[in-house]
Amino acid sequence: MLLDAERVIKNFGGLTAVNRVTLQVDASQIVGLIGPNGAGKTTFLNCVAGTYPPSAGKVRFQGKETTGSTPEDMCRMGLSRTFQIPRPFPMLTALENVMVGAVFGAEHGSKKPARGRAEEALKFVNFPLALDTPAQRLNAVQLKRLDLARALACGPKLLFLDELASGLTPGELDTMMALILKIRDTYGVGMIVVEHIMKVITGICERVLVIQYGTPIAEGTPREVMQDPKVIEAYLGEEVVA
Amino acid sequence: MDQKSLWNRISDGLGIIGFTPLGLVLLIVLALLPFVSPFNQEHILRWLIMGAFLAAQCVAFDFTAGYINVVNFGFAAILGAGAYTSAVLANTSPVISVQPGLSPWIGIWIGALFAGLIGFGVGILTLRLRGIFAAVMAWFVGIALLGVANNLTNITRGPMGMAPRTFLETTSNRPYFYIILAMMLIVYITLRLVVRSRFGLAFKAIGQNFDAARASGINPTLYRVFNFTLSAFFAGWLGGFYAHYFGSLTPQTLMHTSKTVEVLALAYIGGRGSLWGGMAIAFPFVFGIEALRSNLTDLPGLHLVIYGVLMIAIMVYYPAGFAGFYAWAKDKLSGLLARARGQAQPIEAP
Ligand SMILES: Nc1ncnc2c1ncn2[C@@H]1O[C@H](COP(=O)(O)OP(=O)(O)OP(=O)(O)O)[C@@H](O)[C@H]1O
Ligand SMILES: [Mg+2]
Repeated sequence: MLLDAERVIKNFGGLTAVNRVTLQVDASQIVGLIGPNGAGKTTFLNCVAGTYPPSAGKVRFQGKETTGSTPEDMCRMGLSRTFQIPRPFPMLTALENVMVGAVFGAEHGSKKPARGRAEEALKFVNFPLALDTPAQRLNAVQLKRLDLARALACGPKLLFLDELASGLTPGELDTMMALILKIRDTYGVGMIVVEHIMKVITGICERVLVIQYGTPIAEGTPREVMQDPKVIEAYLGEEVVA
Repeated sequence: MDQKSLWNRISDGLGIIGFTPLGLVLLIVLALLPFVSPFNQEHILRWLIMGAFLAAQCVAFDFTAGYINVVNFGFAAILGAGAYTSAVLANTSPVISVQPGLSPWIGIWIGALFAGLIGFGVGILTLRLRGIFAAVMAWFVGIALLGVANNLTNITRGPMGMAPRTFLETTSNRPYFYIILAMMLIVYITLRLVVRSRFGLAFKAIGQNFDAARASGINPTLYRVFNFTLSAFFAGWLGGFYAHYFGSLTPQTLMHTSKTVEVLALAYIGGRGSLWGGMAIAFPFVFGIEALRSNLTDLPGLHLVIYGVLMIAIMVYYPAGFAGFYAWAKDKLSGLLARARGQAQPIEAP
C-alpha cells in the first residue's frame, strides 16, 4: 500500500477541520476526495503532505510512518502535490519553475539531467507557451498546467491534485481527464483527486471518499457514493455539477 | 567559423564567472584608471576605493535581498562586527585593554568568520519569519551589535572610536584601490558561482514562494541559513578592509542602519537579484554624490535623500532596476541588428 492515513484529525483552535479521516491509496489508483466547500479536503491533504502536522492520527507512506514529516521530506520521499490556488515562482521562467521540482524533488539523485526531465514534464502536460515565458505572465489555467508539470518533475509515486480542473471549459475538462489518466498509466502513480466537478470524479476515480465538516460520511465507487442519501443531503443547496 | 567558436567559448567562460565581454572591458578600464589623470589624484582615488567598497557590499547584500528576498537590515552592523574583530585583533596600542598584535591580513579573515557566525545566528533567528518580520528581526540584531560596540569601551573605546593599524605603511591610496578591487572581484565571482549552481535556484524558489519551494523538496532552513552566513562572512571581510584602510572606526559611522540603507538603495537601483547591477552603478553614484558634495553643498545626509528618491522611483516605475534596463536594451539592440541583417540577406544570398 502506497498511502495509509489513519483517523487523521486536525484542529484549528476550536474548529475541527478534519475529523478522523481514514484513507488508503495504492499505486496506480485514483481516489477521489469530495465534499462541500470548507469540508476539510485541502486541510487533509496538507496534513498528509506535511504542510502542518495532524493533531492526531497516523500517516504511513510507502510502509514508513511519516506523521508530522516536513513537506520537503515528503516530496523527496515521493509525494507531490498541486495547489488549489496554483503558486508558481513568479519571477522564474516556466522551465525554471519546473526545474525546481526536477532538481530538488524525489528524483534529485537521478542521473538524467534535471533540465531534460523538466522539459519532459512540460511536454507531458502540453504546456502551451514558450518555455522561457515568465510565470507571472501566465493565466490561471496555464498556471495549473505549470504547477502540474512542477509536481510531475519531482518524480512522485503519489500525487495530490487539489481542484486541478476547476475553471476549465468542458473541452479542456476532457483533455485534463485524459492527461490525469495518462499520468497514472505512464508513471504508475497513485493519486488523490479533490474535485467539485462530478464529471471528473465519475470519469477517473476508482473510489471516492466524501467528507462533510471534516467527517467522512460515505465511501465507495463513484456510482455508489452519488446515490448515498447522506451525500445527496450534504450537497443539498449546493449545486452539484453533473 | 573557428574564430567564432573560440569567441563563443571565451564569452561562455566569462559568463560562468559573471562577466560579459563588455563587463570585462569596463573592469580593465577601472583597473587602469588610477594611472590616468584626474583619477590618479589621491582624493579621487579615495572615491574609487569607496566605490569598490560599496560595490562589493551591494553584491553581498543582493545575495540575500535579491535571492531569498529577505532584507538584512543588520547588514552594516555585521560588517562592523567584522571590522571591529579584525581591528581589535591587530591592536598593539595600550589605549585599549588587549594587544594581540595580529597581522590585519589574517585578522580580516577572523573578522569574516566571526561575522559569518553572526549571520548564521541571524539566519536561525529569522527562520520562521517571513519578509518584513525577518527584516525587522535582523534590524534588531544590528541595533544590538551597535550597542555592544558602543558599550564594550575597554576594547572598542565606544563612541570615541579606535584607530586600527592600517594594512600598509604607505599613505598612497593606489595600493588600497587594488586591494579592494581584488576583494570586490572575489566576492562577486564567488557569489556568482554559488547562485549559478542549484543553490541559486533554491534561493530564488524560497524567496518567491516559500510553500511551493518546500513542496518541491527544498529544505528552506539549510539554504536560508547558508545564504545568511555567506553574505555576512563577506560583509565582515569587507569590514576588515574598512578598518585597516581608514584607520579609524566608530560604531556610528560604520554600523548604523543608514549605512545598510545606502547599500540597499544602490542594490535596488542596480537591479535586485542581478548581483552585478548594484556593483556597476556604485562607481558612478559615488562620483556623482562626491562631486555634488564638493561643488555645491555639504548637507549631511543629502546622498541618502537622493538615494531614497531614486530608489522609490525605481521601485515604482522600473522594479528591475539598471540590470533590467540593460537586459531590455540589449534585447532591443540585438533585435534591431537581426532585422538589419535579415534585410541585407536577400541581396547576399545566391
Ligand atoms: N490554516 C487554517 N487556520 C484556521 N482555519 C483553517 C485553516 N485552513 C483551513 N481552515 C478552516 O478549515 C476548514 C476546512 O478548510 P479546507 O480549506 O480544508 O476546506 P476544503 O474542503 O478544501 O474547501 P474548498 O472546497 O473550499 O477548497 C474551513 O472551515 C477553513 O476555514
Ligand atoms: Mg480546498
